[in-house]
Amino acid sequence: MKVLRLKFEKNNILKRDKSIEVCFKCSTCSKFCPITQNVKKYNLENSFVTHLFEAEEHEALRDVWMCCACEKCVITCPQDTNPTEAFTNLKEKSYELGYAPEIVYRLIEQLLAEGTVYGIKFSNLTRKRAGLKDIEKNEKSVKELNLLAEKTGLQKKEGN
Amino acid sequence: MMLNYMFFKGCTIPASLPNIERLTLEILPEIGINLVESDEFTCCPDPIRLQGANQYFWMVSAARNIAIAEEQKLDIMTLCNGCENTLAIVNYRLKNDSQLKGKVNEALKEIGREFKGTIKVKHFLQVLKEDVGLENLKKMVKTPLTGLKIAGHPGCHLLMPNEILQFDNPVDPEFYDQFIAALGATPVDYLTKADCCGVSLNLAGDKEASNRCIQSKLIDAQLNGAQFISTACPACFNQFDLGQFIVAREVPQLKENPIPVLYAIELLALAMGHSFEDIGYNLHRVKATVQGTV
Repeated sequence: MKVLRLKFEKNNILKRDKSIEVCFKCSTCSKFCPITQNVKKYNLENSFVTHLFEAEEHEALRDVWMCCACEKCVITCPQDTNPTEAFTNLKEKSYELGYAPEIVYRLIEQLLAEGTVYGIKFSNLTRKRAGLKDIEKNEKSVKELNLLAEKTGLQKKEGN
Repeated sequence: MMLNYMFFKGCTIPASLPNIERLTLEILPEIGINLVESDEFTCCPDPIRLQGANQYFWMVSAARNIAIAEEQKLDIMTLCNGCENTLAIVNYRLKNDSQLKGKVNEALKEIGREFKGTIKVKHFLQVLKEDVGLENLKKMVKTPLTGLKIAGHPGCHLLMPNEILQFDNPVDPEFYDQFIAALGATPVDYLTKADCCGVSLNLAGDKEASNRCIQSKLIDAQLNGAQFISTACPACFNQFDLGQFIVAREVPQLKENPIPVLYAIELLALAMGHSFEDIGYNLHRVKATVQGTV
């Protein structure tokens, strides 16, 4: 049996999540993973989890964003590993290197501009139709959020 | 006696389901829940994409939201699984890891705030379960939803991580069915109850895979006799409403016999004597006439 080894970013991820090394590729998690069940290119022979752990840099950094953190893999793993946590760490690397989907960079931009991930102007059109009062941008909150982004090193660069 | 909470509305409900925001503020006082609003809250931020972008920023922003409620000395009530997941995880981790709490507070100091760890974060369904109690809720129901067959969909992010949320059995959840039964309706059991609604596949750009998630869940619910599906998460709601509207174009089984979605708050409002018209059912994309109720 081939032993699963996380290739890309292995050492960095192991520093944060040691349990992932005991994965023995039994595919139990894949039977419950909504990505393996529904995305055409994946199946139990080549599941999302195993594919991602064996993928080279570029592919791993793009596909990882399909993970919805539902933790079905965490519930079902007989070895008590936490693939979801490994994927969140991979997402972070992906964002940092500019491989995240464009929408993720846009969401950050929108969040730091208005404090919400939906544009206030368009939200207010929907609210008007439902008879609700407008949302107003809270300048102080947005300023605080931007200070926190700076302090935590959140990058705002464009995606690839 | 009224139960008081800070109302954490999140981003999606005010922007895309404002009617649910209106109903929540109208209906919850009728069952003894008083909600305090704040315009200081920002996005939770979401556990799928924004956590992935930068975990430290995600944690600090969530801690800032919690600190705002702590300043008011009130627990938070969320109405969205994503908000609940983020805020509950961060609240738990910071309460249990003093080193992490120190690191987060170092950032919060920049904006004159502090995470103390003095409040709880609860989803609306957790408030019903732990604070109101389903037995009490039953006594408050004015128009039991007798005869309605409803499939409950709790949603992934309210079930896991179970050691933190401690809400329900993540493999075979029961509470949503008990909630449906408390309102006088009939809960429908179905095999895919704990399965994902597919929203993240949609967000990641694979609409085909996302549609498959919607289709398999709705048809499973339908084959087990459901007339409606119900959820308390805006992302799942949009999948079952707008998503079903699109999927049904190619699935005759759903086109001919749609399974409309009702938000948990809408179900509650119906049971409190409000009509389908009052709850804004006309704003839904997918509607079906149910004899005697519409």
